[in-house]
Amino acid sequence: MNSGDAAGSSSGGSGDAGAPRRASRKPKYSKFTQQELPACKPILTPKWVISVFLLVGVIFVPIGVASLLASNKVVEIVDRYDDACVPSNVTNKLAYIQNSTISKTCRRTLKVPKDMKQPIFVYYQLNNFYQNHRRYVKSRNDQQLRDASKANETTLCDPEKTRDGMAIVPCGLIAWSTFNDTYTFQHNTNNLSIDKTDISWKSDRDHKFGSDVFPKNFQKGPLIGGKTLNESIPLSEQEDLIVWMRTAALPTFRKLYGRIYVDLKENDTITVTLDNNYNTYSFDGKKSLVLSTSTWLGGKNDFLGLAYLTVGGLCFFLAFAFTLLYLIKPRLVAYKLSYTNRIKFHR
Amino acid sequence: MFTLITLYSTIIPISLYVSIEMIKFIQCAQFINNDLNMYHAESNTPALARTSNLNEELGQVEYIFSDKTGTLTRNLMEFFKCSIGGEIYGTGITEIEKGGAERAGVRIDDDEDKRSATAVHEKGFNFDDTRIMRGAWRNEPNPEACMEFFRCLAICHTVLPEGEETPEKITYQAASPDEAALVAAAKNFGFFFYRRTPTTVMVRESHVDRMGSMQDVAYEILNVLEFNSSTRKRQSVVCRFPNGKLVLYCKGADNVIYERLADGNYDIKKTSREHLEQFGSAGLRTLCLAYRDLSMDQYKSWNEKFVQAKSSLRDRDKKLDEVAELIEKDLILIGCTAIEDKLQEGVPACIETLSAAGIKIWVLTGDKMETAINIAYACSLVNNDTKQFIISSETDTIREAEDRGDPVEIARVIKESVKQSLRSYLEEARRSLSNTPERKLAFIIDGRCLMYALDPALRVNLLGLSLICHSVVCCRVSPLQKAQVTSLVRKGARKITLSIGDGANDVSMIQAAHVGIGISGQEGMQAVMASDFAIAQFRYLTDLLLVHGRWSYLRLCKVITYFFYKNLTFTLTQFWFTFQTGFSGQRFYDDWFQSLYNVIFTALPVIMVGLFDKDVSASLSKKYPQLYQEGIRNTFFKWKVIAVWGFFAFYQSIVFYYFTAAASQHGHGSSGKILGQWDVSTMAFTCVVVTVNLRLLMSCNSITRWHYFSVAGSIAAWFLFIFIYSAIMTSFDRQENVYFVIYVLMSTFFFYLTLILVPVIALFGDFLYLSLQRWLFPYDYQVVQEMHKDDPHEYSMIRLPERSHLSPEEARSYAISMLPRENSKHTGFAFDSPGYESFFASQQGVCVPHKPWDVARRASMKQQRQQPQRTGRS
Repeated sequence: MNSGDAAGSSSGGSGDAGAPRRASRKPKYSKFTQQELPACKPILTPKWVISVFLLVGVIFVPIGVASLLASNKVVEIVDRYDDACVPSNVTNKLAYIQNSTISKTCRRTLKVPKDMKQPIFVYYQLNNFYQNHRRYVKSRNDQQLRDASKANETTLCDPEKTRDGMAIVPCGLIAWSTFNDTYTFQHNTNNLSIDKTDISWKSDRDHKFGSDVFPKNFQKGPLIGGKTLNESIPLSEQEDLIVWMRTAALPTFRKLYGRIYVDLKENDTITVTLDNNYNTYSFDGKKSLVLSTSTWLGGKNDFLGLAYLTVGGLCFFLAFAFTLLYLIKPRLVAYKLSYTNRIKFHR
Repeated sequence: MFTLITLYSTIIPISLYVSIEMIKFIQCAQFINNDLNMYHAESNTPALARTSNLNEELGQVEYIFSDKTGTLTRNLMEFFKCSIGGEIYGTGITEIEKGGAERAGVRIDDDEDKRSATAVHEKGFNFDDTRIMRGAWRNEPNPEACMEFFRCLAICHTVLPEGEETPEKITYQAASPDEAALVAAAKNFGFFFYRRTPTTVMVRESHVDRMGSMQDVAYEILNVLEFNSSTRKRQSVVCRFPNGKLVLYCKGADNVIYERLADGNYDIKKTSREHLEQFGSAGLRTLCLAYRDLSMDQYKSWNEKFVQAKSSLRDRDKKLDEVAELIEKDLILIGCTAIEDKLQEGVPACIETLSAAGIKIWVLTGDKMETAINIAYACSLVNNDTKQFIISSETDTIREAEDRGDPVEIARVIKESVKQSLRSYLEEARRSLSNTPERKLAFIIDGRCLMYALDPALRVNLLGLSLICHSVVCCRVSPLQKAQVTSLVRKGARKITLSIGDGANDVSMIQAAHVGIGISGQEGMQAVMASDFAIAQFRYLTDLLLVHGRWSYLRLCKVITYFFYKNLTFTLTQFWFTFQTGFSGQRFYDDWFQSLYNVIFTALPVIMVGLFDKDVSASLSKKYPQLYQEGIRNTFFKWKVIAVWGFFAFYQSIVFYYFTAAASQHGHGSSGKILGQWDVSTMAFTCVVVTVNLRLLMSCNSITRWHYFSVAGSIAAWFLFIFIYSAIMTSFDRQENVYFVIYVLMSTFFFYLTLILVPVIALFGDFLYLSLQRWLFPYDYQVVQEMHKDDPHEYSMIRLPERSHLSPEEARSYAISMLPRENSKHTGFAFDSPGYESFFASQQGVCVPHKPWDVARRASMKQQRQQPQRTGRS
């Protein structure tokens, strides 16, 4: 033996390969493993930037105009009445509203600012009412609402679960606090009838509230939260309750009260007789009555149209500005790779 | 309060971790392991990623620590050129010359077929020149010098022949591969050394008297003046010709030989000097050959002194040196040899690319300083314009101290000199950096000085100096020191470090660095076993770092920032909602929406980006190595970048929340009915899913059809989910908040208008930012993208047929790789024997024979040392 052999045997790798060659360990070619999948390479060149801005502008401005026009067609009357409907001599509003012996009928006169085509939607609007509070939101039991056989199912319904050991139907805070102001309208001494059907989403009526579930033990406690329900009418037809129970996202919200199928003329006056029952005084809430017409887009909503118009306009402006920049100061200045061995190139 | 806080748990989702692991794993297992560009056909070795959690660090490496032998070089010495009597022979072109010529724009064609018939390529010999091959030297202007040259090669050495005594089958055992190469060269020139006896050297000489003649000549070896690495740097043999003529042949480093030349022959000395420089700058290892005729009287009187010195008991080495000085003078220069320390293929080009990428390369080697510097030249780490700072332990003051022999004193002297030179060099380097920043600086230090320089007191200066320098060469360092240097930079400079090596002596260094790379397919497996990635050739570092590393870095940055963005956006919408629920902790989204957001609705596209995003193609990545700088500077994961994403997440969440929440104020659609909380949140969630997925497409540099599938699929998955989810009523105890919600929404125009408006407004800011950024402050990769945006797609498919079989060149290099390799432990420049191993053995007091003369004993010693190693390996 000598050092040469020792060296040879220690370098085992090359020795083996000298023998009949092993199966090749060469990787197989595939576009995936070689990272050569065909791809498009979008580069935000000035031309692309300008065209994208133009495109967005061209699409957005018409939509914006259309939405704004639709919104402008809507006539809306908002009347806040929570303060006005408490007699001025009452100092303790809370005591006043909680006293069930006093009649709280209140009369408001509204003036129609523009022609209003039927249907006219009647909404009530509450401010500072946190229907989205965590404990409020979960204080209901959907199974109980849907299924007559589950009438005793009152989990999650705290603090309105039972009355004298009997389950409340519908249980929970939300149902308990259903809005209970009522409105009647008079137009030129004619009573306007309010259509209170189909004010809730059909899916709620059909699936969430059972047609064989009747209110039980509801609002029987010492503390009345809101509307009382007729125990002979099934929940699926208690549309005020259904509307109320689709909780609102924000502390300021509107809910549909009913529809009036009468056309109103400009400068007509409407007299509203309302029962001011609902207590918003304990938490500084506001109550308003809203009369509104509607278009394909819905109620009065300038926001959407303005947003579209602003973005569209901004896009046009930017397209213009970029074009100007492109023409005045084109990028033919040599670009540099910022570090060593600078490379220059011309556009 | 706690309920409130748990709402924001989605900000760092568990899916981030899972996705990143998945991406990294596929990057390693599919991309790195299967890259054909990193497959070495000759050794049948593909690249191997042994760990999958360092991919992005590959894209940020700033310091590379490389072993020399087996990593940069093949440890294969080849006789390449020579200069005889003022004439250069040998037509080969070294790698470094090729590189230089290519930089100058000259295309060098070294097609194997065009080589002349006389070209010989065997182990240790890669030479071609018709003027002196096959006896043609007889017709040269200076045949006498040629003959002396060849004889010197054939006689003056300590090589042992082995095997059958024919030129084809014989093998030479030498202390260093250089010596073997020289003797092999003599053989090819017709002076075939085939037998050594204790007193003679047998040489079969051809073409001496006339062309074609052949005769066996026995030269009697009278004395061997041994090689001594540090002081003598030369080796001499006194021999007696059969006709009684006494000749001293000497070979050694140019400076020692030139000092001892006889007067006269200035022309040859001058031209030879020029040739030496030429060889040197071509990265070749040079030796000068000289001879001297001795008269009998001269020899006899000298030999007495020699015998006396040899038999003395004290200071024998020193006395022998002194005696040798007496006879090694008045030499006549014959010429010089140039040996190529064969670099691995493509090493200089790779190193150049890496330095252009801003990576600093340090060579840590056990070799002698000259060898190390030579290799640094050959790898174009150092060139003639480079300012070199050298700290060596072989200075006169240190040598004097060593002569006095007091170890404490020696240590003090070395420490003092290291301290001084470090300080002065640091000052000088700083001055040079501020005055002439273009000038390249190199720092060279040997292991012994390094030991003192690593002292805590000097460490700061050492680090300062080495960080200023563009390249650092540490020679004669132990494996431990390699690791120390690596961790010095890792900890001191806080930069990403990479170590690459092939042998067991590199293991500690590989483990000390952030990223360890082993050269596979060669010798032992220790380096590979300790490494994070294994590649077959040094040059694959270019692909590994500049392509895979850079892409991985870019992709992971994108994935992480995008994850941050999408979850911040999502969570912030929840945050805005909190303000309007009286901080009660009510969720904005349904629980299922929230849970599935990261798992289904936004999961796949970001993985696609992590796998497929490419800013520029692989070939452009290598063509513009500067792009790698973006990784070193961590351009894409700075606070600034995250802040920009954070800002847009903030902006978008406001858009999502307020634009959709405004919806609940009014009736929508002609029925006048009002939307509830869950309608609003479902609409907001739809907008978030659509926007976040589109935003991802916006940040892609290349969009494959997988991107389209995954983005469209994710959005479709959301709609599919909500269609089913809101259509069913379950008997489970769940609140039917979202029952029928999507159908209610879809019955209004408002939903569609919002769905168009909100994503556009949300992405408006991002789009403006991206276009302005590219327009006014483009990143480097964006510049390159635009430069090459009209380039056709390139696929390696086109290159493939050529690769499927071996080209002649590949066949040749395959053949070379199949040649028995030298054991990497014996390195060093021409017949400088010990590598780090014996050097450190002697430091520890272990006696290692370092007399080249004792080759036979060396061989047996070596075997003994190898024995345990081999058993250990198996």
